[in-house]
Amino acid sequence: MRNFKTINILALTILLALTATSCRTGDKADDEMNTNKVLMQVDNDPIVAYNIWFKVGSVNDPQGKEGLTYLTAEMMADASTKSNDYSAILEKMYPMASGYGAKVDKEMTTFRGKTHKDNLDEYNKLFMDAVLNPAFKEEDFNRVKNNTLNYIKNVLRYSSDEELGKFALYNYVFEGTPYGHLMVGSVEGIENITLEDIKQHHKNYFNANNYTIGLGGGYPSDMVDKVDTELNKLQDTAINTMVDVTPKPINGLEVLLVEKENNSTAISFGFPIYVRRGDDDFFALALFSSWLGEHRNQSSHLFQVIRGARGLNYGDYAYIERFLNGGRLNKPDPNNGRNNPLFEVWIRPVQHIHRHFALRAAMRELQKVVDNGMTEEQFETTKNFLNKYSIHWAATTSERLGYQVDSEFYGIEDGGNYINHFREKIKNLTLEQVNAAIKKHIQYNNVKIAMITSDAEQFKSDLVSNADSPIEYNSPKPDIVMEEDKDISTYKLDIKEENVTIVPVDEMFQK
Amino acid sequence: MIRNIILIALGLFAMSSTALMSQDNENVFPYDYEVNTLENGLKIITIPMPSNGIVSYYTLVRTGARDEYEQGKTGFAHFFEHMMFRGTKKYPGTVYDSLIISIGADGNAYTTDDYTAYHLSLSKEDLDLVMELESDRFQNLSYPEADFKTEAGAVYGEYRKNITNPISVLWEKLKYTAYDKHTYKHSTIGFVEDIKAMPTLYEYSMEFYSNYYRPENSILMVAGDISTADILEKAKNYYGEWEQGYTAPKVESEPEQTAARSAEVKYDGKTNPIVGIGYKAEAFDATDKSVIARELIGDLAFGSNSDLYKKLYLKEQKVQYISPYFPQNRDPFMSIIYTMVNDPSDIDYVKAEVQKSVDWFQNNLVDKKKLEDLKKRQKYAFLMSLDTPANVAGNLARIVAITGGMDAVEQYFQTLASITPEDIQAEAKTMSEDKRTIIELQGAK
Repeated sequence: MRNFKTINILALTILLALTATSCRTGDKADDEMNTNKVLMQVDNDPIVAYNIWFKVGSVNDPQGKEGLTYLTAEMMADASTKSNDYSAILEKMYPMASGYGAKVDKEMTTFRGKTHKDNLDEYNKLFMDAVLNPAFKEEDFNRVKNNTLNYIKNVLRYSSDEELGKFALYNYVFEGTPYGHLMVGSVEGIENITLEDIKQHHKNYFNANNYTIGLGGGYPSDMVDKVDTELNKLQDTAINTMVDVTPKPINGLEVLLVEKENNSTAISFGFPIYVRRGDDDFFALALFSSWLGEHRNQSSHLFQVIRGARGLNYGDYAYIERFLNGGRLNKPDPNNGRNNPLFEVWIRPVQHIHRHFALRAAMRELQKVVDNGMTEEQFETTKNFLNKYSIHWAATTSERLGYQVDSEFYGIEDGGNYINHFREKIKNLTLEQVNAAIKKHIQYNNVKIAMITSDAEQFKSDLVSNADSPIEYNSPKPDIVMEEDKDISTYKLDIKEENVTIVPVDEMFQK
Repeated sequence: MIRNIILIALGLFAMSSTALMSQDNENVFPYDYEVNTLENGLKIITIPMPSNGIVSYYTLVRTGARDEYEQGKTGFAHFFEHMMFRGTKKYPGTVYDSLIISIGADGNAYTTDDYTAYHLSLSKEDLDLVMELESDRFQNLSYPEADFKTEAGAVYGEYRKNITNPISVLWEKLKYTAYDKHTYKHSTIGFVEDIKAMPTLYEYSMEFYSNYYRPENSILMVAGDISTADILEKAKNYYGEWEQGYTAPKVESEPEQTAARSAEVKYDGKTNPIVGIGYKAEAFDATDKSVIARELIGDLAFGSNSDLYKKLYLKEQKVQYISPYFPQNRDPFMSIIYTMVNDPSDIDYVKAEVQKSVDWFQNNLVDKKKLEDLKKRQKYAFLMSLDTPANVAGNLARIVAITGGMDAVEQYFQTLASITPEDIQAEAKTMSEDKRTIIELQGAK
């Protein structure tokens, strides 16, 4: 299974602040070790970026021990090794202003970091040691476990309703499948995990046959073999990491109301789409979702309708791939490749009195575009926009490396530059293709809706009875807005009582 | 990682200070740059660097929440930043948006306590259009009152979104408690009652624009694939007619704090207790050893390589995190230590440990190697932060905005290189209990 990915540096024409030169091809060591590699050597780049990818994620958590992959990765990246206490690691990293961390997603775990090339030898030693020789100490385990529980019980449940809403939606859609719990696990799952479980999980999944080496920037040519030789010391086990993720079909509009005392309602809704990055229809849908709701962008259609014209909240966006940390990041952080994506709409918190109206407004816009398709003008504008805007997604060596590791995950033949590949695909799209893809994959009848709100019983009753939701403003609005409001406030959402579930916030992510 | 959340939350209010580097006798900043000033006082900083056609375009207005000295106007600088996207007669908001969309520029803005930044990343062939649009909205902003009121709703939405985070609640209370006269008493987003009253301030918004959005109060910073001559020529063309007229706000000085302060605050959600401890500090001055020494104490005493971090977080596991936030400010602000305590019964112990750490630095000389390691860390953090035009301009924005130019960058490095363990000790002695404000936040449940 030799798959030595060579990045054609000459094709990296975008955003390259540095002169790119040669990239090595396969060598003997590589042939012997059968290792996948994603290499992006950039001469003169003072930074070296690491991205070591293991094919394991939260889908591989055993039932009842949700969080095992996350805790294992944290015990590697954020804890002591056999040669160094964690505090000694921090001390050594300190003058280098460097570090490494693990990102655990549903189906992939990446260890990522960067350092200045002056410090590469020392950094590499520490990085490799973390992956190869975690000490699995009780004191680290207690700390990591405690931090993770605090994150779920306090931070996620209480400190940001919109992040809570997005995670609630994903768990809701994938309930009962290996995608149905948070990447960090569940409260009870984490409490059930022992150090012994972690050691075993490390042995089983973080093994010599399960990694891909990603290196970018100004590393010397012998670096790749060095890293490979080290990582090849991992256990020579083999394990099947593939799992079945088939979500239950959605019947009509299904609603999850997470009840808590809060000042606004956070809204997320969506449904599975069977289109992955790289598939033909992916690019057509990417254009569509960019038009409907480009992340953190005024150009977003939903943004214009809900915030721009009506001032109901801070922003409104749409996605065909999971965008983690969307409240904080303006561009996606790579390395959450997923074989089971959602189409997802994110309505940032609206005042409770506007919750029904805002949901209706967003669903109505979805229906309009599904029924009527995009117009020529919308299509052309978005095409031009995306062609240039996408170059900002991967500005640094680390980001570009992250995208190339993702291309490896999805099996995309992009000539070593996913962003350019994306731009080419977007440039070649036609309106007919986009509208056909919308018709084929996007709909508004079978949708799961997760909302974080107060007085959920009242909202449930409003939803089920299709109560009117008229809206008043503190300033005059143009006639066209007022007219449209009449339609929105009576827009029918067919929600059956048995399709509404109310869950107190403290029960979220418990199991 | 999880414990970084506090830093993320702080980012809502203020950009963290840029870690700059120390190096002897040479210019530290690796790119050649120029600072020029138009006749109307608009300063233009150009930083040509290789970037394959990408340009980062920053307009810094040296007005932020600090300048909101009038009663009932807190949060206005931030609100006004939103209004800057509502257009002009020539390019109404929707037209501005559609032109920015047409060139695929990545644009946004943010407001801090000391300044407001408008930034775009774009392709160099679109520079003319961007300069046309940006210069137009800085000179000819015009929007109907209805748009103004609608945007106020979005700002209130932003407040409601932020305030679910306990750090926001703590931050508001800390500023409110530590300050009596100076405008640092309120957070950048403003007091909630002022935010709710924003829709009534349409007339005032015109006044605000006229007082502060002036060339002599603004700096243009352009980095990337550019030539200085070209930018200057274009700037003269697009910004040359921008009229002066800056009126300085009447920001009151804060009287010296003479006694320790403290307060408790309740958070409506669930959280472990969070303690914020602020020590009054001097205004940023890159040539002042005590200012730079104070910054270093943040890392030395409370950073990830400090004894206290290792004790409280790693060994005893009394806290979820402990983190210094020692920002650079235009006026005297605070050096703050944040920590989330696992068990409420340990709050007093943790507070005492923080003060003990300060005491230690008052009574002892820091290990030379530790200090040198920190200087080295600053160097590498700086070098690694300059990889794209957006990162270069973004990382320089604060120091440029609060000092009004680029000189402070090299001055900072020179001062940093000269800091000795004795300087650290002398500065630690200024962190006395009577200059301290402690806020304890507890969850409601």
